[in-house]
Amino acid sequence: MNVESSAPTPPLRAAARPVPLFSPGRVATIATGTVTQLVRMKTFYFLLAFALVVVAVGNFNLPATPAKELSMIKKVSFGTMDLFAWLFAIVATALLIPRDQEDRTLYTILSKPVRRVEYLLGKLCGVLFVVGISLVIMYGICATMIGARESLFISAEIEAMTAGGRYSQEEIDEQVGLIRQQGLRPELGFAVLASFLKASVVAAVTIFLSTFASSSLFTIIVSILIFLIGHAHTMASGFWLHSSDNSLFVQMLVKVVKILIPDFQLYSFSEGIVQGEAVALALVGQMGLVTAGYLVVFLLLSLLVFVDKEF
Amino acid sequence: MNRLFQKIPRIPFALVILGLFGLARGPVEDRLRGELISAKLLTPPPAEGAFEQMGQSALMGTLGGLRSLVATFLTLEAFDHFSTKSWDDLRQSYQIITALEPRDETHWVSVIWHLGINATANMEIDERLPAFERERRFKEYAFQAIEFAERGIEQIPESSAVRIQLAEVYREKLKDDCATARVYGDIIGLPDAPGYVRRFHGYFMARCPGREREAYAYLMALYQEGERQHLPTLIKEIKNLEEKLDVPGPRRIPDADPDRPKKTPKRPANLLPGDILVPFTREDLRRIRS
Repeated sequence: MNVESSAPTPPLRAAARPVPLFSPGRVATIATGTVTQLVRMKTFYFLLAFALVVVAVGNFNLPATPAKELSMIKKVSFGTMDLFAWLFAIVATALLIPRDQEDRTLYTILSKPVRRVEYLLGKLCGVLFVVGISLVIMYGICATMIGARESLFISAEIEAMTAGGRYSQEEIDEQVGLIRQQGLRPELGFAVLASFLKASVVAAVTIFLSTFASSSLFTIIVSILIFLIGHAHTMASGFWLHSSDNSLFVQMLVKVVKILIPDFQLYSFSEGIVQGEAVALALVGQMGLVTAGYLVVFLLLSLLVFVDKEF
Repeated sequence: MNRLFQKIPRIPFALVILGLFGLARGPVEDRLRGELISAKLLTPPPAEGAFEQMGQSALMGTLGGLRSLVATFLTLEAFDHFSTKSWDDLRQSYQIITALEPRDETHWVSVIWHLGINATANMEIDERLPAFERERRFKEYAFQAIEFAERGIEQIPESSAVRIQLAEVYREKLKDDCATARVYGDIIGLPDAPGYVRRFHGYFMARCPGREREAYAYLMALYQEGERQHLPTLIKEIKNLEEKLDVPGPRRIPDADPDRPKKTPKRPANLLPGDILVPFTREDLRRIRS
């Protein structure tokens, strides 16, 4: 009897632990890596350009009332903030997957037990984190400028109105109230949120395009085109239908565009907030839900293309 | 299952998902758009005419979601036209600005002021033009200002600032007392309406031919509100109407009290805010030196 053959053979390798279907930890790791990658690309330098724009606008010497001047500073600052946010979301997202491919980081990541959905979600979260931080910094710069100008205008107005003793305290308060209405208000935070929501949808669309695009340049150009069409179709469709005498072909084309391309114009509700209108929280909440819908659908579409892509 | 999934052509499948999502979100977004417009958070699309007038860059900016930025840039451009007295270019710029931001009251007030007051004043003194042409353009600019005001009131019916500016055009430039009275009357009761519009409505109604009796009753009602309304101009206007309407002596109001303390003493014209004295006379110079 062969004793050796009857002895139990030790396993060559310990049994592999089952890989969980989805791990937030792995998503967080990829997101952190993406943030580091973007910071190393010196992306935050564009904040200097933003600061320059805000300082330049803040020092315009226009023959306008203080309230109008403040309104102008706010409009330009928030408009520039919005522009930088969506442009940054497009460029940063378009560069990430091709860069990972070039650096061969993508192969290392995907050879590990990392699911592709986790990779895509991690990338998106990383970009959104950087966009969010940039928006907060831009808001800080803008708030400092608006706050400084507001206090300057208020003290000058009070000094001018009290100098001659011609105005009652009530009249002075009314005038100061007019300036405050166009000054730094907590509601402006919702305008920043609107820009962030818009940038999120733009990033989700760009990540979908970059899953099948052949180059970053293609992704950037097509994403910008989609953004412009998504912003313009509500405005332009009426005009186009009118000039084509409501032709059936144009009607069909407008419908197809409306169905396929996100409506970015909805996110312009930040303009109303900047102009001093009251914020309707319920509407902001609904916009958040619509954004979540866009993110889920575009992430699913990206996954559909990316899931069995050969590299 | 996996094999079946692999056989599905990806791009058409993605388009189908995108289409279904588009169909589902369409009504939700349309409803949201309506609600955002009602809450004044979203501006309705610009009028068709505005697109035709825009330059290429302004059009691209507007379509690209930079509506506020384009409007601000055009406001600066309009100021440049004001500096060079290019009134037609200024009007053109404001046509676009007001189409882009129809809810911004300051744009409407500015364009009425520029065309109704500045452009008309320029036509009164511009010696380079023949008198007939100046008169024609004076009226043209004044009516353009009125047209802007009417559109502004349509967009912001609750605005008293737009109406006050319109009343100034009627009062100072067209000297139309009846229209001035009508506009001041429209302002009464609006939010942010200044207190003086009630009196001004009466003063200009008193000067409107055929409305003297109505004006007398209106101003008397104001006078009877109490001491606060016994202002010299109000008393003077009532006195004028008493003469015109031949009101019997016992029903007439007493003359204005010359010793009535004025709310604020008249400020010398050469005393700037901060009590800075600009010397007009030798006496002023002596005061500054001392």
